[in-house]
Amino acid sequence: MFLVATLVLHWDREHVNQAHVVLVYLLLVLGGSVSGGRTLGLTLTAAGLIVIDFYFQLPYDALTIDVAKPLDALVLVAFLTTAFVTTALLAEERARAREAERRAAEVDSLGKLGAEILSTASGEDTLAALAALIRNSLDVACCRIYGADPEPRLLVVSATDAKPGPLPAAPDAPSLAGFFRDPVPFENGTNAVMTSLRAHNRVVGLLHVSDVKPIALDDARRRFLDALAYYAALAIERLRLVGEADRAAALNILLASVSHDLRTPLTTIKALAQDGARHGETNALAIEEQADRLGRLVGDVLDLSRLQSGVLPVAPELNTAEDLVGAALRQTSALHNGRTVTTDLDLDAPALVGRFDFVQSLRVLTNLLENALRYSPSGAPVDLSVQRAAETLVIEVRDRGPGIPAGEHERIFEPFYRAPGAPPDVGRAGLGLAIARRLAELQRGSLEYVPRPGGGSIFRFSLPSPSL
Amino acid sequence: MSTHAPTPPPATVSGATRARAILVIEDDAPIRRALRNALGEVADRVLEAETGRVGVDLTATERPELVILDLGLPDMRGLDVCREIRSWSRVPIVVLSARYSDTEKVTLLNAGADDYVTKPFSTPEFVARVNAQLRRSHLPAENVAPVVEAYGLTIDLLRRRVLRGGTPLRLTPIEWEILRTLVSNAGRALTHQQIFDAVWGQAAGNPQQYLRVHITNLRRKIEANPARPDLIITDPGVGYRAELPEA
Repeated sequence: MFLVATLVLHWDREHVNQAHVVLVYLLLVLGGSVSGGRTLGLTLTAAGLIVIDFYFQLPYDALTIDVAKPLDALVLVAFLTTAFVTTALLAEERARAREAERRAAEVDSLGKLGAEILSTASGEDTLAALAALIRNSLDVACCRIYGADPEPRLLVVSATDAKPGPLPAAPDAPSLAGFFRDPVPFENGTNAVMTSLRAHNRVVGLLHVSDVKPIALDDARRRFLDALAYYAALAIERLRLVGEADRAAALNILLASVSHDLRTPLTTIKALAQDGARHGETNALAIEEQADRLGRLVGDVLDLSRLQSGVLPVAPELNTAEDLVGAALRQTSALHNGRTVTTDLDLDAPALVGRFDFVQSLRVLTNLLENALRYSPSGAPVDLSVQRAAETLVIEVRDRGPGIPAGEHERIFEPFYRAPGAPPDVGRAGLGLAIARRLAELQRGSLEYVPRPGGGSIFRFSLPSPSL
Repeated sequence: MSTHAPTPPPATVSGATRARAILVIEDDAPIRRALRNALGEVADRVLEAETGRVGVDLTATERPELVILDLGLPDMRGLDVCREIRSWSRVPIVVLSARYSDTEKVTLLNAGADDYVTKPFSTPEFVARVNAQLRRSHLPAENVAPVVEAYGLTIDLLRRRVLRGGTPLRLTPIEWEILRTLVSNAGRALTHQQIFDAVWGQAAGNPQQYLRVHITNLRRKIEANPARPDLIITDPGVGYRAELPEA
């Protein structure tokens, strides 16, 4: 192109103006820059400069600058400047466009990654995709992601055979432990670069990329790596949470199955014992009582297990204390044995409303009533009262039993506690109060013991009662 | 599979006629035996089925007067057995459920079961529930007597009023609707959902959350001791029921 133009112009040298020549060569430089880049543009600039001077400035066919003709020199300088600046500008523009394209591609892949993390794809698949993406976009030979649950361990590796050469070794266990504890040095420019993966202000993992040659990351690459690292941290967290949920679900299934297996023979024993009682067998009643006791113990142990694993659901709703008291009295009616349970509820005040889980609160209250009835001397009434004060419902169960010795007031709420001196077959294995307190707390309430003036016990069961 | 109960002892149920046949759908043999023994005084024949499918078939062919349905059958969900039977029969269904599985009970009741008994159960309570359901089903269709007398109350469903000792009690419209729903289904466990639907229907907003408050206010008006109700009984975790004194 360049040669053709030169020939044409040279052939008509006598008639063409320097302006025509310069403009033609400028066009050539422009075209060359656009198609061939900075190198071609600069080459054409230099070539053009020489050709203009040689062929198209007097004296012809000589590479001189005639000092007596300052305008010629001006033409050369103007051409050089224009061509050079144009080439440089074009090259910069091209570089910026390329950079923008690359950025757009990065954002696109980050977007897809985000969608993948939120999708139902398994956490492991997401991590594997992340590792591959990091390896490809950084163009390194190997990418490793470590997590800690709770010990540091390798979660995924993405590697390629396409890069021959020795790779730095993976960190050993003691170093790994160190990297999870202390800040990780970011050694840009070495063969192995590491960065911590953080989510929710915690170190949840470690990213390790290694290559056969030193890895040098410019700022843009560094920022992209940080974004990917954040996604990796989220993916690791998701893996952990899904694992926990799975374990909780598995635990629930296990407990339900154990519960069913333990209860089925108890149901039979109880029914057959009742049958025997109807036919006058003397031991039948005792058998039934023991079956009941065993059933309660099974239920308590399973519930305590659920409570301690945090898988017992509590659903607080709008309920009334009266409803609760009525149901509790009904459930414990068999134990009354002629003793009175007095109820003190202000029935003229508006309904005593609270926000609690009816079934779980019923368990607490029946537990307290059963204890009170069991430890109360015959003839002494058990008193139940409900009051509302300061956004709290306070239910108190009072008895005139032996009370709890000083110093044991908190210990009675421990699992398997048994009051000193209590006969071994009275009541359960000491689980009731531990469960009751935990159930109260799960509903944002509380359960306390207060000694009764004049002898006996007061158990104070509080539940939230927000103003409507 | 069907079997005859051994010669039953004299009927101990006050005044009630014995059922011709009761079906037990239960896969565990010892529990089946215990149920058979318990029902011996209530029915002439106790039919037994070990699977849901056989149970549904026997219900269709033998037409028992009551069905005892255990959940946890090997071949079908209790819910599906209940739904199938309900799609062509109004036979009373009493469900046997495990403790602390309130959602299960509620689902079955919403699907048309009439009552539930929790395992391990007390035989006298079980028999009482079965008898209550049998009594209900023996009443003519759309069964309720227009005026119900119970615990000193006169509940006039026709004239829509309640009296105690001749004096009318003042109920709000919602309280009346709740009372009417419970008493029209006396003896039957009604879930919160069923009471909502009967009283509030498709009401907008969320008035149903106040159901328990309404029940409490209703008890204060009609029960002799609201904290120890006789008529309106709470089924914890499930709903409410009206219990009429045994006729």
